[in-house]
Order: sequence, then C-alpha cells, then structure tokens
Amino acid sequence: MTKNLSSYEGLVSATVINELRQLGERLAGKKVVHVNSTREGGGVAEILDWMVPLMQDVGLDVSWEVIEGTSDFFSVTKKFHNGLQGFPVHISSQEWQTYREVNETNAVRLRPILEEADLVVIHDPQPAPLMGLCPNRKGKWIWRGHIDVSRPTRSVWQGLRPFVAGYDASIFSMCQFAQTLPHPQYLIPPSIDPLSPKNIDLDPEELSAVRYQYNLDSQKPLLVQISRFDRFKDPLGVIAAYKLVRKSQPVQLVLAGGGASDDPEGQQVLEEALEAAAGDPDIHILLLPSDAHKTINALQRLASIVIQKSTREGFGLTVTEGLWKGKPVIGGDTGGIRLQLVNYHTGFLVNTPEGAAHRIRFLLHHEKLRNVMGIKAREFVRENFLLTRQLREYLTLFHIVSSNDGSSTIFI
Amino acid sequence: MDDFIIQDCTLLSRTSTVPPAINLRELRDRLANCRPQVIYHHFCETTLVPSFDNPDYRNDFAVWAKLYIGDRVLAEQLGIINPYAYTDLEKLREEVLEILDQRLSEVYDIASCQSGSEFFFTEAVTVVFDTGLRVSTPEALPEAIGKMTNGSIYYHFLESRRREPVGLDDFSTWLSNFPDQEAGRHNLQMLDYSFSTLTELRNELVQALEKGGAS
Repeated sequence: MTKNLSSYEGLVSATVINELRQLGERLAGKKVVHVNSTREGGGVAEILDWMVPLMQDVGLDVSWEVIEGTSDFFSVTKKFHNGLQGFPVHISSQEWQTYREVNETNAVRLRPILEEADLVVIHDPQPAPLMGLCPNRKGKWIWRGHIDVSRPTRSVWQGLRPFVAGYDASIFSMCQFAQTLPHPQYLIPPSIDPLSPKNIDLDPEELSAVRYQYNLDSQKPLLVQISRFDRFKDPLGVIAAYKLVRKSQPVQLVLAGGGASDDPEGQQVLEEALEAAAGDPDIHILLLPSDAHKTINALQRLASIVIQKSTREGFGLTVTEGLWKGKPVIGGDTGGIRLQLVNYHTGFLVNTPEGAAHRIRFLLHHEKLRNVMGIKAREFVRENFLLTRQLREYLTLFHIVSSNDGSSTIFI
Repeated sequence: MDDFIIQDCTLLSRTSTVPPAINLRELRDRLANCRPQVIYHHFCETTLVPSFDNPDYRNDFAVWAKLYIGDRVLAEQLGIINPYAYTDLEKLREEVLEILDQRLSEVYDIASCQSGSEFFFTEAVTVVFDTGLRVSTPEALPEAIGKMTNGSIYYHFLESRRREPVGLDDFSTWLSNFPDQEAGRHNLQMLDYSFSTLTELRNELVQALEKGGAS
C-alpha cells in the first residue's frame, strides 16, 4: 500500500501535516534520488520505505536506487561498518579495490539518473564513491551517515573520508557522530513510522497468537531485545543480565532479530547466542525473516521491559520503537540511546550486564512507575520522533542546500 | 488594520567549528570565541530541537553543567538567565562568561564530563515561510494560535523578540493596534515562558488571550 501523509492525521495534528505540504510545495518537481545498499533489512531500508512515498506525496519527484554488490563487497562494507564503530579491522588494498570496482559498476547503471537529479542522498559508506563517479552531476549531493562514527578505526575513516569530503553536505544522527569534513554537517535524528507493521497498534488476538506461536508464558515477566545478531548489540550481555535476574525471580527472555543481506557476520553471532542460551527453556532466540514486522511489534508489546543493551549503536531505533509501545527501555550507555533514555524518565542507561540486571529488577519491582514511564515515553516519541519530524528536517535541508544562501535564516 | 500573517519556521541543527568541551574551563574558552549563532542556538533554539527530555533548565549550558559535570551551583546560575532580556548576543556572552569566570575562581577541582558526554557546540539554520494563513480580528487569534505548529509559536512568540520592535512578541505587537485588547496584551507579556515546552506554551497563549477577553 502506498503511504500518504493524510494517513497520519490523528497521530499528529493536521497542522503538522499541512506544514509538511507547504515545505514540499516549494520544492515541487525537484528530482531527488536516495541510494543505499539494501532494499530490506536494517534501519536504513526501513526509513526509505516510508520516506520515499511521503516525499512523493508532498510533491517531490523521488526515486530510491539500491546498489548491487558481490558477497566480497558486502564483506568489505561490513568491515567498514565495524571499523567505523571502533572495532579494530584492517582493510586490505584488494578490499579497497573491490569497494571501488563495485561502485564503478553501479555508476554505469545509475549515472544517468544521478547526474540529472537536483538532490542526491547517499546513505552510509557502501555507495559513497558514486559522487566521484558522476562527473557531470548537476545537483546537490548529501551523504547521510547512519552509523556511530564517533571513534572510528582511523585507517578506515582515512580511507573513506576522500569519498565523502566532496559532498555538498552531510547528515549525522547526533553531533557526537560527526567528523571533521569540509562541508556543513547537519544533525537529523532518525524516527519511526507509527503506521508501519512494526509499530501499528495490534489487536489482543494478534498478541496472543504470537505468545502462543513462540511458547511464551503469560505469567512470567518478559524481557525483549529486538536487534540484528551483531556483536555490538551485545546479545551475550543480555543473556548474562537475564541469568542474573533469574536468580531472584522468574523471568523469560526473547532475543529476536532478522538478518540483513549486507551483514555476513550475523550467523556467527547468532550461534554464539544459541550456545549461551542452551538448555534454558525461558530464553527464546528467534531468527526472524525480514518481513516479520508484526511479530516484532507484538513481541515489543508483550514485553514487560524492552532491552537494547548495545555497546556501540548508531541511533538505536528499537529504543524509540519500545518507547512508542509505552515500555520503559533499558539501553546501553552509548550512541543515540543516550539521547532517548533519561534515567527514571523514559528508561535507564546501563554499562554492564550487572547494571542491566539491576535495572530490570528495579522496574519489575515498581510496576506503577514502569507504567508511568511508559506513558511519558510514548508522548515524547509522538512529539519528536515520529517520521513527520524527520521528513520535515529533510525538506528543510533540501531548502537549505538548494538556496545557496549561507545565512542562518532563509526565507522561502 | 493589516491582518496578522502567520509565518512558520523549521530549524535544522548543524555542527559548529568549535571543538567539544570536556570541562568548565574548556566551556568558558570555547564560548568566548564561538560565533554568536552558537550562543543563540544553545540558549533559544534548543526548545525546537527534538528531545526525549523536558529538562529543568531551558538552556543547554545549564543542563550540561547539571547533568554531565555535576555542578549544580553553576547550573542554577546559568539556568536563570533569560536570553531574551539581552538585545545584543555579545552582552549575553559577557554575562555567561562572567558567571563561568566566577565559578572557575570558586572551584578547586575542575570537574570533567565522562567520555561521550562532552558539550558539543552546535548552531542551526532556520527556514521561514508564509503559511498563507491570516488572522483578521483579535477575537480570532486564540483559535488561530491553538492550531499553530511549534515552529509558528516559536517564531511569533520567542524568536520575534530579536526583531523590531526588540523584546516584544509578534502577537502583542499586532494587538497593540487594537485599544480594547490591552488586557490580552498584558497577559501575554506577563506570561513566564521559561518553563514550558512549545506545546505547553501554545495552550498558555490561548488561555492568556481568552482571559484577556479575546475569544
């Protein structure tokens, strides 16, 4: 079903919708192309899945292109991902060459549309070299970094920086992620789509069906972490926290995540989690298909507490998703999770499995506080972290870069 | 009398060229040299920046002092500053530097924040546009305000104080053309906006005007 803005009336005010239409009208007909590396799986694809039709709905001529890569290419870009998040990796000259060659191949296919576009938004490092491969580009090019690059492995960032530096602007989710670059760096936190299958309200019957399907006990508090099986999401730390809680009270844990076509490392992390959970019937490790959005939605709604115990994180949209479902969230004290969790307010920030276990026990003990925090959290998301806000900021950025006006106030 | 023209604005934050500060001394030194827009952003525009918090203080410097370097004395001193009382941002900078210098002279150990909690100096670009909406009579103003975006509320009630006539909000300026709206004007000018989110402020503005007889 094609998304349109009027569907969101009721979730946000008509005035907010009208504001977006007015910003869009003044950009009507502009050709915008988004480019990333996967059509499904992972946060970027989810964002583009709603952003593209909504930008079209406000009058822009928008398309979404996906670069095609080999397994070697995605292994390299996964190493980029890890390296940018601070994990020590070495990229060989052969791997850099693979990166460039795959982009050169994609540039042959994409060059006509990219060079004609008024605005091109390149998401993450995978397609970053495309700009340099489009010498006759006429529009503005924006690089959107979704990853936490606050402390990148130096050699990886040094290798990638030349591909990014020539852009007209870049976008980061938080100022902590920004790097020294010779162009303006704008800050746009991501957001969630309240009408997507992952976030839409569900009937009690749908919740019961998921509880039954995964053999969850309705009498035991449920802890849920939804994440790719990625080392930085620390699934083993979550299991350790669960085991500490389990010593004092009955509890059950779901670790659920999908794979993404650009993440070859996931299988190994999944196997490590399965091994850590072996023999415990209250730990449910679910490798879900990429379209299991309603299942994820139901698991978050069934949860007593949502966990996101990452040790490195981009923004951590699963935290916002949990908050939108009225759940306090216990999250790792890192990246964008810090923006979203305010202790005793929307959840708790933790640094260790012990810290997570402590806060889980605290929240399970204080049921009323848990509910109050959940209600408050949902309203913060409504006000600031629904897709309408992010769409507004992208449209604002398009106005800024199109205006060629360096002043701090632009009248359109 | 001319109609009230409802403008809207959207704001986009961006990094500044100022490196982050990890302690009070760095905060002081960087603040002394940053662009005025940076000071304005952290004092005034922060209310438009998406957040999961409704902090005690309405400027980023006070919030950082309290939450990240644990200096509650400084937070209180910075938190009470009304940036709109300064017609010149350089005067505001002088006032903040005075407070920081005083505090630096009082503390023996200069506390640093944890890694990742540095103070990041940012600024913003604001895009302003005409909504096409007009208000013809004072009686129609409360209802119109009730339907405004947060951007419009910010632009007409807070940001307006920087524009001529300096220190006044746009609603009051427009109502001054209507002698029978003195009570509403007075209520608007007495409104303490320091503790409200923009959503709360919208409701308070409507109430202030309705109490003044405009409804």
